[in-house]
Amino acid sequence: MNTRRANLALWTFAVVPTLFVVLILFAPAVQGVVLSLRRGGPSIANYTAVLRDRFFWRAVEGNLIVPAGSLAVEFVIGLALALNLSGRRGRLAAVADIAAILPFAIPEIVLLTVARYIFMPRGYLNAALDAAGLGPLPWLVPGSPWSYFTVIVVDAWHVTPVVMLIILAGLQTIPPELYEAARLDGAGTIATFRYITLPMLAPAMLAALVLRGIDALRIFSTTLVLTGVEGVPVISTYAYHLWTDAQEPRVAMAASVILAVMIVVVALVGLIAMRRGALFALYE
Amino acid sequence: MPGGGARAAPLRFAIDCLAVIGAAVPIYLLIKQAITPDLESFAWPPFWLPHHLTASNLKSVFELAELRSALLLSVIVAVAAAAISTVLGTMLAYAMARRERLRQTGMAGVTIARLLPMIAVALPLTTVLIRAGLYDSPTGMGLALIHAALAIPTTALTTYGAFVAIPAEQEEAAWLDGASPLRVFLAIDVPQARMAIAASLVLSFILSWDEFGFALLIQVTNRTMPPLLYYYTVFGDVGPASALALVMLAPAVAVIIALRPMLKSGFIAAPRH
Repeated sequence: MNTRRANLALWTFAVVPTLFVVLILFAPAVQGVVLSLRRGGPSIANYTAVLRDRFFWRAVEGNLIVPAGSLAVEFVIGLALALNLSGRRGRLAAVADIAAILPFAIPEIVLLTVARYIFMPRGYLNAALDAAGLGPLPWLVPGSPWSYFTVIVVDAWHVTPVVMLIILAGLQTIPPELYEAARLDGAGTIATFRYITLPMLAPAMLAALVLRGIDALRIFSTTLVLTGVEGVPVISTYAYHLWTDAQEPRVAMAASVILAVMIVVVALVGLIAMRRGALFALYE
Repeated sequence: MPGGGARAAPLRFAIDCLAVIGAAVPIYLLIKQAITPDLESFAWPPFWLPHHLTASNLKSVFELAELRSALLLSVIVAVAAAAISTVLGTMLAYAMARRERLRQTGMAGVTIARLLPMIAVALPLTTVLIRAGLYDSPTGMGLALIHAALAIPTTALTTYGAFVAIPAEQEEAAWLDGASPLRVFLAIDVPQARMAIAASLVLSFILSWDEFGFALLIQVTNRTMPPLLYYYTVFGDVGPASALALVMLAPAVAVIIALRPMLKSGFIAAPRH
């Protein structure tokens, strides 16, 4: 067997797609960093402009509150859905199973469109509340705590199935003998959950938290479609606003570089926190 | 978690209800708004059930030039992105399956590619595309290249397992006959991995079909369906917006339900930007 020829072929097979991704995604990102550091000549003026902007700090605040809230909601509901579906058989289980995955199958922009109709002032939710005598609520009023709540719920709605799938895969790796042993020892449902299910799930949950955390920080469409750039500001929509409306491309790039750095820091902390290789274990 | 007994039944029922409501409500409302006149969607209190039916919203998707061309452009971009990302992703997966060092590097690369926020790539990329003549292109080829690059981690991970499963002895026999590496790959590996390759084609098609952020920033006048739906929703054309959303929804739901066993086997689709 001609190993050298095979090696050359395999390296070519790996290098061509890698170059493609580097050229299309990484090279522009690097160029963005370079451009953000220039104004006339080399300068940090774009960054000082961002850091002096009060609106930027509101966007940072939103970029922390919304992902944190969304992660909390999607992990609680994702865990409940996964525990409910795990090991279940029958036709009803199949329906619940498809229903649990469906919100992820709905294209994000489609779900956001419907969410607008549900949460708008004269929308379906307020109509239902009105009919029940609970009165309308300001679900999407810019800057109100309710608008943050709405954005968090809608964001979690779309991605909870992903968390559920990761947890479901984690549940499958727990050996049934452990449950059998716990049952023989007379452990109840809650004790079994607390001392067997939860510790055994921890690696999968941590991996899911890092992966979902990275995605959650990138939040863009949910806030843009539901509340516009000013309702619930986040860094991506702030940069988008500087780019399109304010015609400040360099400052916009500086803001988006700050977001990228935030994400890399979170990813590094996450990777250090978990056992090395646990992230890759998800893919295999 | 097994057990729970009779006490868990009401809890299970509540969770089932939550799942069904979360899935059924948006789809029902879209269908209702798509088949009724705008008057019913803007009524207060809103109609929960359709009163008058109309086909005009759905027809408009195929008759109004703006909607029809967005549909066509979305299909062209998604087909091109799926073809490119499946070819490149399959090559990467094969290399990763055959060499341990390439596997490690590949997995690291796939993870790093997930870190970049859309906005940090899209803004400088716009400048590059303007220079290359691919910004807002009527054929959507700039956007197709971006979608292809975004989907490569997904297509590589989808096909990787299939290549690992092919025994090395089969390739060795072909080697002894003097076949070239490319010929071995095309004649022995690709046919056996065809189901995984088909899955990666439809998955990458849907990733492009659904993608909103890059499409919004790059196809500013020659719009694909996601940015067009955004404008229709924001500027208040409920009927056509709902019909357009329904057309977007159908293939996406069909594909995810068809690929459900794969998604449940522990493989998690790449993020939607």
